[in-house]
Amino acid sequence: MSVYKHDYRPFAGKVTPRWMRIYVLSRYGAAEAWSSKITVGLFVLSLLPLVIFLIGIYLANNPLARALIVKGSSGAIDIDAGYFLKMLEFQSWLALILTAWIAPRLISFDLADNALPILLSHPVSRFGYVLGKFLAMFMFLSIVTWIPCLLLFAYQAYSSPLPWFAAHLSIAAGLFSGAILWITVLSILGLALSSWVKWRVVATGAIFAAVFVPAGVGAIMSAILRTRWGFLLNLPMMMSVLWQRMLGAHPIFAEKYALPTPAILAMLLASCVCFVAMLNARIRAREVVRG
Amino acid sequence: MGVIDLEGLEVRLGNRTVLNGLTGELRGKAIGLLGPNGAGKSSLINTLLGFYKPLRGRARVFGMDAYQQRAQIREAVGYMPENDSFIGNMSGVRFVRYMAELAGLSAAEALERAHEALFFVGLGEVRYRKISTYSLGMKQLIKLAQALAHGPKLLILDEPTNGLDPMARQRMIQLIKDIHKQGNVHLLISSHLLRDVDETCDEVLILKNGRIAALCNIEEERRSNRSFIELETVGATERFSVSVRGLGCECASFPGGRIKLVMPDHIEARDLYVIASEQGVQIRRMNQRRDSLEDIFLRAMENEAGSPAHVRL
Repeated sequence: MSVYKHDYRPFAGKVTPRWMRIYVLSRYGAAEAWSSKITVGLFVLSLLPLVIFLIGIYLANNPLARALIVKGSSGAIDIDAGYFLKMLEFQSWLALILTAWIAPRLISFDLADNALPILLSHPVSRFGYVLGKFLAMFMFLSIVTWIPCLLLFAYQAYSSPLPWFAAHLSIAAGLFSGAILWITVLSILGLALSSWVKWRVVATGAIFAAVFVPAGVGAIMSAILRTRWGFLLNLPMMMSVLWQRMLGAHPIFAEKYALPTPAILAMLLASCVCFVAMLNARIRAREVVRG
Repeated sequence: MGVIDLEGLEVRLGNRTVLNGLTGELRGKAIGLLGPNGAGKSSLINTLLGFYKPLRGRARVFGMDAYQQRAQIREAVGYMPENDSFIGNMSGVRFVRYMAELAGLSAAEALERAHEALFFVGLGEVRYRKISTYSLGMKQLIKLAQALAHGPKLLILDEPTNGLDPMARQRMIQLIKDIHKQGNVHLLISSHLLRDVDETCDEVLILKNGRIAALCNIEEERRSNRSFIELETVGATERFSVSVRGLGCECASFPGGRIKLVMPDHIEARDLYVIASEQGVQIRRMNQRRDSLEDIFLRAMENEAGSPAHVRL
């Protein structure tokens, strides 16, 4: 390394393509998140349920192993849409915990020391900056949601003695689209709230609050007004209904509480637009040094 | 093509006009941007970086439209903001490398140049320390290092000596002079300290209330005033004055042997000493008047806001 060159010299090499700057933002964001031992701990923790689901699939497809390990059990484990729905729900809520920890680390370091004027004085647009951070978050959450779920689906397809794969392809599609939808909402929500809260711990709390407080308010509204539309504020319930329909599993909630799918999708879209607007407003306000 | 071209540039933020009809061409290697608080210095810098869209007119940097081609401009520009602006949780070398990668360098080149830039600004020994542990002077230097790391064609320094003690200030000024001397990079230095601009710049743009109060080449101004000389003499002053007039100088004598004269281009100070020697006159003091930046700035500030925006002193 040429650290002996103490004179200024211009750069004459080739510059990287513009889209690479978004990758750079993602890479540094992810590295920053990974630098914490708590991130590693949470990540490992969020993969543990998958091991249990993996064992479940193994046992379901190996009667001998099932008989040896689960002594006295004669019932078979059904690997169906309900099984994968449980898996997706588990992983999705663990993804929420990961979001609450990681999202503030992606944004708040930049905001705490007013780094945005320097970051955005480089050839990176506001959109590029947000996209870079979003991709870092999205990749993280993908590793604990749809990627392992689909791997377990593939393992089930491989292990099943019956022609299982083609008949259950809709489960894979539901797993993929359901998880993508959820981690998109989570990523945007996490980044938007983190950009507005200066302290990381408070931002973590705000992310949980943004999911559960409106849910409580919605439940109260529904109870008082005797309507199901209050559940439109209940993100966990909306997502559960949506996942159940996407995977084709048995309904979880009574029909009178179930919201129509277009209403759920419209509500999620409206929430995302709102979070993007929050994010844009915050970053726009901090991108220049006011003099 | 100038480094920065302004063509009737008008920028509004909300209902406030922050830059009003700026027109001028900046060609200097080191351009000083002067003006009182709220004059529009930072707004001009933000406009040049493409953060603000002009309402009317346009600004060009190296011939590129500051708003339409802001990505290309930002690739060619290194920016050191006035206030604290860094990621405190990162080490110095990692931060500079990150910024260089964002400017378009590959990871390996960015790392190499980050080390070089940090050694160049004098932070080589502390490059692995977290920036949050740096002193104020070090934080200013790390901002300079990140602005330099990708080898920009134009370096924009916003109040580079802000908050520095005299020694750190001197070091920063010396660094800016070194960069200027290398000749590979143009400098735009915004400051409210006339001395900083005076020491480092060869062209100055003075803003007042969002308008150009003065745009001048400091070197030319100094050259134009080089021929004005004040003398303090002892001896036959009148005879000396007559001889000096004979050389073609405009000359006025004052009591106490004081003489003020304007020399034509072909006459040098040495000729005055020769005449003085021939006539037995002692020259006790010779002041070659130098129009200081302070004079230029004060004259610019005296202009009313309603006066023409583009004033050449």
